[in-house]
Amino acid sequence: MTGTERARDAGANIGYRQIGRPLIRTDAPGKAVGKTPYAGDYTMPGMLHAKVVRSPLASARLERLDVVAARALPGVVCVLTAADLPDRLAPTDIPGQTGQARLKTDQQILVRERVRYHGEPVALIADESRDIAERAAGLVEADYAPLPGVFDPEEALKPGAPIVQGEDNVVAEHRIRKGDVAAGMAEADLVIENTFRTQFIEHAFLEPEVGLAWVDENEVINIRVSTQVIEHFRGIADAVGVPHNKIRIRGALVGGGFGGKEDVTVETYLALLALRTGRPVRLEYTREDSFLGHGKRHPFKMTYRTGVTRYGRITALEVDMIADAGAYVFLSPYVLLYAVVAAPGPYRIDNLKVDARAVATNNMFTSAFRGFGGAQACIAYEQQMDEVAKAIGMDRIAFRRRNYLRTGDPISTGYPIQSAVWTEDCVDRAIEALGAPTPAASPVRIGRGVAAYQQSYGRLTFLHDTSEAWVGVEVDGTVIVRSGVTDIGAGQTSALGQIAVEILGVTLDQVVIYNSDSAVTPLAGTTTATRALYMTGNAVHMAAGAIRERFAARAAEAFGVEAREIEMADNRVFVAGRPELEMSFVDLVTLCAADGVHRSELAIFRAPFSDKLDPETGQGQAHPDYTYGAHAVEVAVDIETGEVTVLKSVGAHDVGQAINPAAVEGQIEGGAAQGQGYALSEEMVYREGELVTPSFSEYLIPTAMDVPQIKSIILESRSGIGPFGAKGIGEPALTPVAPAIANAVADAIGARVHDLPITPEKIVNAIAAAREKEEG
Amino acid sequence: MIAEFELETPDRLDAALALLAGQDAGAGAALAGGTNLIVDLRSGRESPARVVDLGGIDALRGIEVGADAITLGARATVTDLLTSPEIAAHAPALVEAARVFAGQMVRNAATVAGNIACGSPAADLVPPLMTLDAEVTLASTTGERVVPLAEYFTGYRADVRRGDELITRIRWPRLPESSVHGFHKLARRKGDAITVVGVSVALSVAGGRCSRARIALGAVAPMVVRAPKAEAMLEGVALTPALIEDAARQAVEECTPIDDIRATAAYRRHCVHVLTRRLVTAAWDRLV
Amino acid sequence: MPKEKNVTLTVNGRQVTARLPSHRTLLEALRDLGFVDVKRGCEKGDCGACAVLVDGVAIDSCLTLAASVEGRAITTVAGLGDRDAPHPLQDAFAASGAVQCGYCTPGLIVAAQSLLNRTPEPTDDDIRLALSGNLCRCTGYAKIFDAVRAAARALRDGGDAR
Repeated sequence: MTGTERARDAGANIGYRQIGRPLIRTDAPGKAVGKTPYAGDYTMPGMLHAKVVRSPLASARLERLDVVAARALPGVVCVLTAADLPDRLAPTDIPGQTGQARLKTDQQILVRERVRYHGEPVALIADESRDIAERAAGLVEADYAPLPGVFDPEEALKPGAPIVQGEDNVVAEHRIRKGDVAAGMAEADLVIENTFRTQFIEHAFLEPEVGLAWVDENEVINIRVSTQVIEHFRGIADAVGVPHNKIRIRGALVGGGFGGKEDVTVETYLALLALRTGRPVRLEYTREDSFLGHGKRHPFKMTYRTGVTRYGRITALEVDMIADAGAYVFLSPYVLLYAVVAAPGPYRIDNLKVDARAVATNNMFTSAFRGFGGAQACIAYEQQMDEVAKAIGMDRIAFRRRNYLRTGDPISTGYPIQSAVWTEDCVDRAIEALGAPTPAASPVRIGRGVAAYQQSYGRLTFLHDTSEAWVGVEVDGTVIVRSGVTDIGAGQTSALGQIAVEILGVTLDQVVIYNSDSAVTPLAGTTTATRALYMTGNAVHMAAGAIRERFAARAAEAFGVEAREIEMADNRVFVAGRPELEMSFVDLVTLCAADGVHRSELAIFRAPFSDKLDPETGQGQAHPDYTYGAHAVEVAVDIETGEVTVLKSVGAHDVGQAINPAAVEGQIEGGAAQGQGYALSEEMVYREGELVTPSFSEYLIPTAMDVPQIKSIILESRSGIGPFGAKGIGEPALTPVAPAIANAVADAIGARVHDLPITPEKIVNAIAAAREKEEG
Repeated sequence: MIAEFELETPDRLDAALALLAGQDAGAGAALAGGTNLIVDLRSGRESPARVVDLGGIDALRGIEVGADAITLGARATVTDLLTSPEIAAHAPALVEAARVFAGQMVRNAATVAGNIACGSPAADLVPPLMTLDAEVTLASTTGERVVPLAEYFTGYRADVRRGDELITRIRWPRLPESSVHGFHKLARRKGDAITVVGVSVALSVAGGRCSRARIALGAVAPMVVRAPKAEAMLEGVALTPALIEDAARQAVEECTPIDDIRATAAYRRHCVHVLTRRLVTAAWDRLV
Repeated sequence: MPKEKNVTLTVNGRQVTARLPSHRTLLEALRDLGFVDVKRGCEKGDCGACAVLVDGVAIDSCLTLAASVEGRAITTVAGLGDRDAPHPLQDAFAASGAVQCGYCTPGLIVAAQSLLNRTPEPTDDDIRLALSGNLCRCTGYAKIFDAVRAAARALRDGGDAR
């Protein structure tokens, strides 16, 4: 079902033995036989079962909370309300690995008086069984007095709007002032303006949030949990009121994250209950809990005004964005910043004005989701590119070609992009791979669309990001990698293994990887922001490289050659052209062990450090680097019912260097499906703040019957700053897909639906409106 | 989940009926595939004091093709329909509906009777059964009665089945030789989704005229409904595009869709029009 | 059965007995009994993560009462094979890159096995139909199709699934 093409520089990959190969991932066989434990598969004797009691209203005052009956139920061990907790808040800022001073983003752990979103936790229960927990939750009595709430960001900015928290509803603002937009617009032959809207999206990872906590003999609160970030131990410790070294996060392999397990989810509740009861406590969210319990993707309203000459040169771009931050700040300021940096897309635009605000409402709070603002911006800029091309009567691709960013050009923040910008190649090859148009007869119309993108990999450079990894070689020649990196299913740990064994010259079956234990594995930072391969891959590269250097020196001594002549591959150590100089890797390790050569190394990789962007102009360096690529689709639209079938879906991405091509394809294919849902069928609907899509029956992600064959085209410029010249692919794989589909639908029906998701009904209405306009 | 009930597992139909007899309405619930009941028990929508598990009763499965009629045992599963050559030959719209019915695991357990008994206007097997003029046999300790499916539903999730009755058989007369039986489901995604509009059409032809027309509409009224006036416009005449168009418009008048999270009433009416026209046209084109 | 009784389940060829309340679903019972390869995803039949085979046919264990399947042969993904002797589906899933986070994998392999039990030479349409009740958020289903095709071939030819 997958087709893959890879473009390589001639000769560049010849020397690699392990990387660049679609090896079976180290975690795959255990998962396939059902042996791999996830966080919810652990149990302990005497374990209690926890449940979260939630507010049914979005904006209310909690007038009365009575847990007497719940506490009295036999089997209930502990019920906690805000009255039982110290007056402490839970920090919700960026994962605090850097210790940076945090924004004022705290959230109450349990509702004390004010309810701000539907599902906000009101009480925690721990008892002897799941059944009792459910019954006890039903016995909690609570009276809520509805309070006026606000459910739309633009409404929330109006004078007199209810304030969600603090002084006003503006949670974050960012702007860009680059060049001279007024002059640019004056120079333009045409100015085209469009407004695009996107919806709340749910991560829909298959594994709901879950964890198990216990207090050990050293008074350390251990938390086994499905998380993308083990560094949260700091924030959890602060929320619970214990020292930082008394929380240990033991991450499990994660059953899907996509940013939904980037914030603290169940950990604080578990820690509080374990501490209070003195017993192990397990908390597993139901799917309904999960939908109510973690932040969603920010809806954005984005207005783009593009000035263009009639020959297709963009002279100026003015962007206004407003994002719904929901009830609590979480990562909104950063999502907004990413959207602002991404606003123009992969195009050279010297006159740029961007104004963006994230605004609080009593909707569900919004936070990280694959793409992190960059995806929303792409939905706007790539639809706008098609609309502008149409307005000036120019071919959509020719118009893009006229404006592509190239290496050395300044991006939106003025930072000159250093790595390869292969947007043109990716766009051309994605479209080419669509092949001949599928024939169709009325009432079906075929449409094609493409979207190009710029998506960062690596976190904001002013966060001073670092990542650590330890690599060691045992006396029998087997290899161990230890790193805090969390593996959320994209092969994060397996890639590290591939890098280590490539450098050490052994095979992947020789390595075992230990990860995600905040007490024992060196902290690698979050698995977010498409940073794991870049940051931790580089750290492993450094650590393995240091060992290799020492080993090569010892081998050179043994062989009587220069160290640079030593080659290590396929579990052997040799000198090219000298067949008599050869030994097994194990023999070399034995020599090294005997001589006291240090067989392990701890390395720390530091991303480039920069200052924050200028607050007035948004100029500076924002990210370490960017990935470029494109996605193209062909759709069939039934113009009478509005139903859309995606016939062909092709992603072409320059990933720098594919460490594991099968894993890269996996990201492209998975991103294609997620993007399809984003474009066509997914929407979390809040009515006056109340979630009315509470399960997978109402929230529709694509099934095997919805997704077509997906083709992956992997380009490798080797220009990235990750290991072996790699860039990142996790988020980039998703970013261009929804706009490509939006463009294809517009191509099919000759009209545009500006608000996602593009439902059949919206298509029917858009066609009718266009027809009326034509006839009127 | 938590739900308090006594679970009974009779191995014979008469024992099951005895367990249901004398129950207050709503006090006992029959468990077949569980694909609706278990969900309802978990959500608290149903809270019966007793659940009667029909899984041990072999007598209620099976598909029989007789000289005049086809009979389905109540516990025939959706997968049974999907894989049955008899159903493919005699009621192809049921296969069509089975294909788009939930996912494999649900199809393997869900029963035809359960889909009827749940009373949902979006139940996908009901429109194709209605256009076959299917009849439902209801059994109790006091005997049996047969109710045409078209008279079975009385309102939203309301029907004529008493609390002590079980659906035991579904039966319909074999379609005449020159017949087409079609169904189309429109939903917000292709796999496993609640129907937005479901239309079934059965057309028969004799002597160049439409001899029998049935149109059944799902998810556009409090229950699945027929469109008898539209049917009457088609019967007894040779169909033309103009006539089909008029009948399709008429079908829209015979349903009462609502706005909900999936679609508006206006869109649903529009799709009833489109799908009815398409299904009738496709059937007619195949027959003449 | 009043509201509680001893229920004996035959799982992966082994008999286990437990005292269960009548409302205990097969999913809950299996996981409580240690068969944690059966995953909880939604508990209302929307996602397929909890699928197990009952007499070779896949059902959602969250929609089944444990007591209803007493005496039937229940197979979970772990019952199909292990790392030393993987079932061709398990082998193919791992080898084809069809496993990312892996949480949907047990249910998918069970659904695929149920398909192959009935249809040893499935078309793509057969596969699509058989797997549409299993949600996957990571893979886009592409390599899952590859894996099912490879496993079907291997089972027919008696070779391995590479």
